[in-house]
Amino acid sequence: MSVTIGQIQEAVARTREARERMLQHRSTDAVIAALAQAAKKWLDTNSRWRARAVAQAPEPTGFSEAMVNEAINLTFGALTYEAFGELLDRELGNRRVLDEFCLRGRAHSKAVGPRLIAHFLAGNVPPPGILSICYGLLLRSANIVRVSSRDPVFPALFVESLREVDAELADLVAVLDWPKEETALTQAALSQTNAIIAYGDDNTVAALRKLAPPEAQFLAYGHRVSFAVVAKEAMNSENLPALVQAAAFDVSVFDQQGCLSPHVFYVEERGELGPRKFAGALAEAMAAYHSKIPRGTLSTEEAAVVTQIRQAYEFRGASDRRVAVWASETGNDWTVIYEDDPSFTPSCLNRTVFVKPTDGFKRVLDNVQRFAGKISTVGVAPMNERAMAFAGDLARMGVHRVCPIGQMQRPPLSWHHDGRPNLADLVRWTDVG
Amino acid sequence: MSTDLQQRILAFIRGAPDNFDALAMEVFEFQRERNPNYRAFCDRQPKPAHWKEIPAVPTSAFKDFVIACFPVEEAVAVFHTSGTTRDRAGKHYFKTLELYDAAARPNFEAHLLGARASRPFGDVFPEHNGRDARAPELTPISLIPRDPHSSLSHMIDVVAPHAQPFRTDITEPVIVLGTAFAFMNLFDSGVRAKFPAGSRAMETGGYKGRSREVPRRELHRLIREHLGIEHVINEYGMTELSTQFYDERPGSDIKDVPHWARVLIMDPQTGKEAAVGERGMIRVFDLANLWSSLCVQTEDIGVGHADGRFEVLGRAAGAEVRGCSLNAEMLK
Repeated sequence: MSVTIGQIQEAVARTREARERMLQHRSTDAVIAALAQAAKKWLDTNSRWRARAVAQAPEPTGFSEAMVNEAINLTFGALTYEAFGELLDRELGNRRVLDEFCLRGRAHSKAVGPRLIAHFLAGNVPPPGILSICYGLLLRSANIVRVSSRDPVFPALFVESLREVDAELADLVAVLDWPKEETALTQAALSQTNAIIAYGDDNTVAALRKLAPPEAQFLAYGHRVSFAVVAKEAMNSENLPALVQAAAFDVSVFDQQGCLSPHVFYVEERGELGPRKFAGALAEAMAAYHSKIPRGTLSTEEAAVVTQIRQAYEFRGASDRRVAVWASETGNDWTVIYEDDPSFTPSCLNRTVFVKPTDGFKRVLDNVQRFAGKISTVGVAPMNERAMAFAGDLARMGVHRVCPIGQMQRPPLSWHHDGRPNLADLVRWTDVG
Repeated sequence: MSTDLQQRILAFIRGAPDNFDALAMEVFEFQRERNPNYRAFCDRQPKPAHWKEIPAVPTSAFKDFVIACFPVEEAVAVFHTSGTTRDRAGKHYFKTLELYDAAARPNFEAHLLGARASRPFGDVFPEHNGRDARAPELTPISLIPRDPHSSLSHMIDVVAPHAQPFRTDITEPVIVLGTAFAFMNLFDSGVRAKFPAGSRAMETGGYKGRSREVPRRELHRLIREHLGIEHVINEYGMTELSTQFYDERPGSDIKDVPHWARVLIMDPQTGKEAAVGERGMIRVFDLANLWSSLCVQTEDIGVGHADGRFEVLGRAAGAEVRGCSLNAEMLK
């Protein structure tokens, strides 16, 4: 249900007042503890919050109930006291700089978060939105959160669960929903904002940038693609079962909707087992994952796009030995396409993935060059010295993260999201001395 | 045997009694035998017992393979799809244009020239002998550039051989032929006209990737408003087919299916025929495609009616895609 301008203005005033009240007496450590405690409430299998999300989220998100459960484990499992502490220490040097002047070099410095942050969430996968709210609270900012119609559930329920732990802290957040075409409402939310965190496609981000007050910080997280590379030394019969299980997880989780979801696996040739073996084994692992955690419901259009790609490759595969397709027997729940052509092929998503042979890491760089600047994560197996050298090449290309296959969907809290810090860009410093 | 089949289909299109179901199965066998790529594809699937089960050739295959049942050196025409640079164009090879022309003319005349009331598929068009006696005299003017590799350009040559380039200073009733994109360009450049009563317009094709997209109803409204033409009909055709489908009448989105063709709406989730009224992917069976592919799986979304007619709702690839991940469509 959309809100009115008056309601947005009221939410801005209310969250800002809550911030003033809280700033007086709360320590960062207490905020971390409250956030971690709220997250923990979700993890228990009998959790009320879990039950409510499982009941409410499948409809708007399109995820299966089992996928919602998996999303809860991934999202809230990462929000521990230690992880938050590490994030603050790493980005600000010391988490206490938010509470008091701390000696940094020759001066004493204190960091202050924005008075008001407006968050514009994308709703494709839950973790970024929940994290965004946590960042705002760690900095003790007031937060206006515009949810996507794709996922109004997770952000609202999280703040509600936080309220149970710490109502004073939860008062710093207002979760609202309005159509993004309603620019008057967006303007109302932005008028007093000091910082904007925007997730979404280029058009969404550009539209927000136009409406944002010129002096406000603007952090945008746009569209990205990810892929993975399997080195020949990983391609042996001993490794393969665990490797494809990890790979199937990276592709299938969140039904491949996230920026971190791989579109292509490049498999190096001349290993003990060949790239086709990997494709076949990956297909089996994707089937196994699907039987545990089914793919969600697709719109006719989304399903048609998957079916089109399948039919195109199935027709080719019938007479072209350079192409092969493994596909779920009923429905179009998962599809693995093996193709000799090494050029990077973005997938139509929803658990459709390409496997391509490569004769080396250097060659992969050429094949993905066209997408330089748009690549989020590269999964690699195994993470050895050769992989580290490759990571150096990928860094020069502007890739933001290199990690083991199986970890693509589990970035640590302290990662550089899209290559930048999460909190350090938002604070302002006062130095004494 | 092949020319025999061609003659039978030609006669069937022209109204001779025959049986679609039996003809379709014969054409399937004919194509399976003569196209090794199609045969390899069919060999991986259950043998069809009914025309509805005949394996469909996806439109993408016209890019990846030669979809022809004759040596293509003998082709009298090759029509190309309008592919983008990255996307190779699909090619449709024609051993003869006889079937295409026979299918195009009466179908066009029945929907654009005739005063014919709409009837469901299965009706038989009158043997074509020049223009339908009931048809008004209309001066054809075309917005479609001539192009030897365009299926649409050829169709215009067949149905309106004396079409003149578009102009507004014509005093007798006209029939304006153009793509949706061409009409929009015309209006964007400020062209306005008031063609005499009884004038008609046919628009066709999408706007994919073009600067300005308007819904079909809006386009028809603009044609009425800016050209003064009340009778506006959408044509649904594609390079990979030999038969076109027209709105049953102005203001209706329902496409008539001529008796030599069938359209099924396929559920993309199950791969089976979608229930009447359910959205799905449009699959066309076109007997006039004897020398290429009887059964073509399009990339369009549609909805079927109980009488075999259908509506076109749009392209699947234009779907709003969830997710922050880039996808194939956005990276094109």
